[in-house]
Amino acid sequence: MKWRREVAKAHMAPNEHPITLTTFPRLGTKDDYIQPYYPPSGPALRSQFVPDEIANPHIRFPTLAANIRSRRGRKVELNVPVYKDTNTPEPFKDPTVNYDLHIWPEDDDVRNGAAKDDHVYMDAMAFGMGSCCLQITFQAKNMTEGRKLYDQLSPLGPILLALTAATPIYKGFLVDTDVRWNQISGAVDDRTREELGELPLKNDRWRIPKSRYASNSTYISQDPRLRKEYLDPDLIVDEDIKKRLMEDGMDDLLATHFAHLFIRDPLVIFSEDLEELDLNKADHFENLQSTNWQHMRFKPPPPDKDDIGWRVEFRSMEIQMTDFENAAFSIFIVLVTRAILTYDLNFYIPIQRTTENMETAHARNAVHDRKFYFRKDPFSPRRPNPHSSSGSNVSSTTSSAANSPPPSPSLTPVESEYELMTISDIINGSSDGSFPGLIPLVESYLNSVNVDVETRCSLASYLDLIRKRANGTLWTGAKWIREFVASHPDYKQDSVVSERICYDLVKAVDEMSVHEGRNGTVGWELLKGKNI
Amino acid sequence: MLGGHPIIRQLTEKSNVELINSLRANFQAAQQQRSDGAPTTATATATTTAKTEQGASRYASWTKQHDDTLYIPSTEFGYGLSEERSAYDITVKLFYLPGIPASRRCAHTREAIDLVLRELHVDSIDLLIVSFPGILFDADDDSEVEEEDEDADADGAAGSSDAGSEEDDFDSIVQTWRTLEGLQAQGMIKQLGVAEFGSERLARFLPHTKVKPSVDQINLKDCCVVPKSLILYAKQERIQLLTHNDCMDILPVGTTRELLGPGAKGAGILASAPDADDGIQGDVAPQWVVKYTAVVKDRGVVENKGYFALADVGSCVKP
Repeated sequence: MKWRREVAKAHMAPNEHPITLTTFPRLGTKDDYIQPYYPPSGPALRSQFVPDEIANPHIRFPTLAANIRSRRGRKVELNVPVYKDTNTPEPFKDPTVNYDLHIWPEDDDVRNGAAKDDHVYMDAMAFGMGSCCLQITFQAKNMTEGRKLYDQLSPLGPILLALTAATPIYKGFLVDTDVRWNQISGAVDDRTREELGELPLKNDRWRIPKSRYASNSTYISQDPRLRKEYLDPDLIVDEDIKKRLMEDGMDDLLATHFAHLFIRDPLVIFSEDLEELDLNKADHFENLQSTNWQHMRFKPPPPDKDDIGWRVEFRSMEIQMTDFENAAFSIFIVLVTRAILTYDLNFYIPIQRTTENMETAHARNAVHDRKFYFRKDPFSPRRPNPHSSSGSNVSSTTSSAANSPPPSPSLTPVESEYELMTISDIINGSSDGSFPGLIPLVESYLNSVNVDVETRCSLASYLDLIRKRANGTLWTGAKWIREFVASHPDYKQDSVVSERICYDLVKAVDEMSVHEGRNGTVGWELLKGKNI
Repeated sequence: MLGGHPIIRQLTEKSNVELINSLRANFQAAQQQRSDGAPTTATATATTTAKTEQGASRYASWTKQHDDTLYIPSTEFGYGLSEERSAYDITVKLFYLPGIPASRRCAHTREAIDLVLRELHVDSIDLLIVSFPGILFDADDDSEVEEEDEDADADGAAGSSDAGSEEDDFDSIVQTWRTLEGLQAQGMIKQLGVAEFGSERLARFLPHTKVKPSVDQINLKDCCVVPKSLILYAKQERIQLLTHNDCMDILPVGTTRELLGPGAKGAGILASAPDADDGIQGDVAPQWVVKYTAVVKDRGVVENKGYFALADVGSCVKP
């Protein structure tokens, strides 16, 4: 990452700096923050805040944005609750919204109530898909292991989202949420009014409860521990596609997963791809797969590359301001996967609870103020065969949730398997010892493998950051940014993050990325703590 | 005693709690499976050298008597490893327990490694780390000794309050190492390692070895305080410094009796005291404990982990 920054810097003007904020705090304001300047209200985005040129000029991207808008029948609509400070107007009406624009038909959106009171309003894909995240892709040993990791990492998504919170500002206002997730979700939501449930179903096939960018809704592992109660009974699937997949040999769980992804329309199709159907290519599959932006993604090997296997993406985390933090969270998740496979950990909860946790993770300071549904006992019952932890023998058998042995009679009600926990308890273990904690699990794993002293030392510094983020000793990026704004002389307790504050903030972030909070330098509150 | 449960339930505890719990869980599972009539599939065992058959009916169903050794529980050395041997790094750590004559270590080492090889269905291990009793690595001591060396040219025994027993220990360590070198020459062990050696001790020890230890495993709460002298010396001698979290006194006598005794949490095999009549009579003397881990190399997954331990029971088992 340090090297990447150097490479990026080498290609930049002297007054440009590579910074890793999730969003530019004043994106969408009338400031002179893009060079060269382009006016908003272009034909593709039709946004009153950002120009079309803000998107990648490759034809795919403006087309994607335009197709989302046209399928939806209006512009995308992002309303983020504003953070109410002492001088914030009551009610807060986003003062940057122009109600008198008459260039595009979509300019009527705001006159039809698109911008809500007490919210910061945004109207383009760039506000969401312009965000940066910290996304980790794992290659699994085989499909079985990939499916297991997909399921077991899924409940961790909201926990790590809250723990990495770093997005408290949109369009020049402090907002009352700490993370980017729902804004991206809204920025690419192509659902029609019928699909959203605002109009009775007439032309569309389903009511669809989630955006194509959302927490995931399926479990896919052929794992005897996967109880049917964990699955979403109201999951929307394209039954015809599911039937077709199963007729050709796909098992029920995976067929359900893909038939769920395939309820979406393709967003961009290149006409040359329609001339001839090439079954040796996966382009049409990838087209749908890669525009289902769920917090986990299960990726089959590409047909034209032998050296890439079954992969799982963990997609919920927010980018952190320094390389050290990004390394810490990346490595932590890798170690968690090793602990999951080594101890055959079980984090299953009903998947709707994960959806709820994802919402919970948005709250301001959710990492300390909120509790999250989590499984009480992550251990599996004692297994007679030590092999099964590797899952290696399973792939060749026909075992699946449908034909696995009947559940043992000792199964407890699903509701008693999980409870609301603090993130500190989930990460560090509960004080009464009832939940072991992810870091103690990782440390136990590290104690079981040969780790050299220097590696263990750097791992210890990474784990220490995670531990202290979880227990509140260190701040999240979101809290640090809030405090920076609040203590800035230019801040008037009115939620407004002025150009001046924004400039100083970005400068501080740039300095932080170099010194990483050492010796009391900027950002020590989220990196090192007081005594170091 | 066998404790082969790969899942650790006491995560914050040191390895002797892990060992005791895994042995206990293994005993209970074996008893349970026997009473269920299910085939036993436990993966580890304690062996007790005992002369008596008294009261044996209580535990005969889930243990196995072979010559004068009682296997608790009876092990059937089940499944071995799931992938081919070359996919694994197999590390074995052998704890020679305090108070046991060094002369037995040759036989003990063979016994312990033999059990591990049978358990994992392999004919060699990648690394054997031996832990000698009474050696405690202390980061501060090591650096202090180094400083003294520089200042006062102190001799090799600096920092030791009991040079006599230190010498005995040192000789026995060198003797034991010869045995290990022999086993290594037979191809049974790829690499040898020691535990808790500071740079001082290593420097003294290395000239006595034909096969140098490849690994020095040290127990450090905060690994960022590893003495620089040790890091530099280890680098120079190409000895890899590894970390561990094992307990020094891994299987004390009292714990062993509690584990195997008639109490609520015991296995109901040993008597509550050497001369009590509620189980096998006599003193109990734990001899060694061995821990093994099989890690899938390229994925870093621990597939198999467990312990074996051996204790002698009888009227003249005390060293």
